[in-house]
Amino acid sequence: MFGNKLQVSLYRYNPEEDKFPYMKKYTIEKPERDIMVLDLLHLLKEDDQSISYRRSCREGVCGSDGMNINGKNGLACITPISSVIKRNKIELRPLPGLPVIRDLVVDMTEFYAQYEKIKPFLQNETTAPEQERLQSPEDRDKLDGLYECILCACCSTSCPSFWWNPDKFVGPAALLQAYRFLADSRDNKTEERLNALSDPFSVYRCHGIMNCVSVCPKGLNPNKAIGEIKSMLHKNKKDIIVSDGV
Amino acid sequence: MKGSLIWNTQRYSSIFILCYLIYIVSFFISENNINFFTWSNFFLSFETRFITSITFILILVHSFIGLWTVGTDYLTKRTLGFLNKPLARYANIFRNMYSFAFSLLGVVYLLTILYIIWL
Repeated sequence: MFGNKLQVSLYRYNPEEDKFPYMKKYTIEKPERDIMVLDLLHLLKEDDQSISYRRSCREGVCGSDGMNINGKNGLACITPISSVIKRNKIELRPLPGLPVIRDLVVDMTEFYAQYEKIKPFLQNETTAPEQERLQSPEDRDKLDGLYECILCACCSTSCPSFWWNPDKFVGPAALLQAYRFLADSRDNKTEERLNALSDPFSVYRCHGIMNCVSVCPKGLNPNKAIGEIKSMLHKNKKDIIVSDGV
Repeated sequence: MKGSLIWNTQRYSSIFILCYLIYIVSFFISENNINFFTWSNFFLSFETRFITSITFILILVHSFIGLWTVGTDYLTKRTLGFLNKPLARYANIFRNMYSFAFSLLGVVYLLTILYIIWL
């Protein structure tokens, strides 16, 4: 229908000017080579300087440019347009469930508040050794698939349980990090961490919908980590962590 | 209340309900001559009545947990506010009415079931 043209439908909202958000359509020449969605946004911004979005490293490390691309959350900088384009159309929206500040920029306060809640740092009150707290290679292996999270919020904002209760349900990203510290042999606050997660909302609002696994741009599995936390909560013992981990 | 208690209650109640289904189905499989009298004998036995009562109480508990989850997901200020902003103000009223309705239904259901089984 559009031949060599690419139609981009972009979520626009400037609270200072617009009463309601709206979708604005842009038609551009289809790039000759496959480019990333972030590059596409740069092309649009050349013509319309008012378009707002976050970006930083542009290589899938900083997690700034998480957005909803044709209905699925992902990082714009590592998503080629060829993988998302449908009938020469691309629809870009902000991450769902979070308040929109402007265009594709969302307010991530609720997301970070949940991250803060799980105390994402090592807690060990024993006397620190002279150099560093050592770990066996097996114990270190347990952290693979956990520490790689870049906090882009793609998973949490694709989770309906997080949409409905972002103040109570910790969300997949923060729960993955919660398990990262529960699984760490150098952390000895396991019981306190588990007690903080034992209410009916923090962990148990996860119904295994698996959107988090489907959208994670780093290929991580928050759902499996949540399952491990649930197992630990049932037994409330640290020794049930299996060595092959997450 | 601990989340694990609610989670376990829902899982174990479903296992019990499944066992009850197997118990009922096994009657139909094992009984060659099914008629009103064999069914009455089976169902009026104390064991069957007792197991049936427990099962229906567990169905009630199981559904209460599910309905409570639905209410606390969808009848909140935030969720109703998504649909319609002014509606968010009445979220607590809607949720309380909803809880009252399913609690009332639960009591009626339980009394009816126990009446049918035991009286």
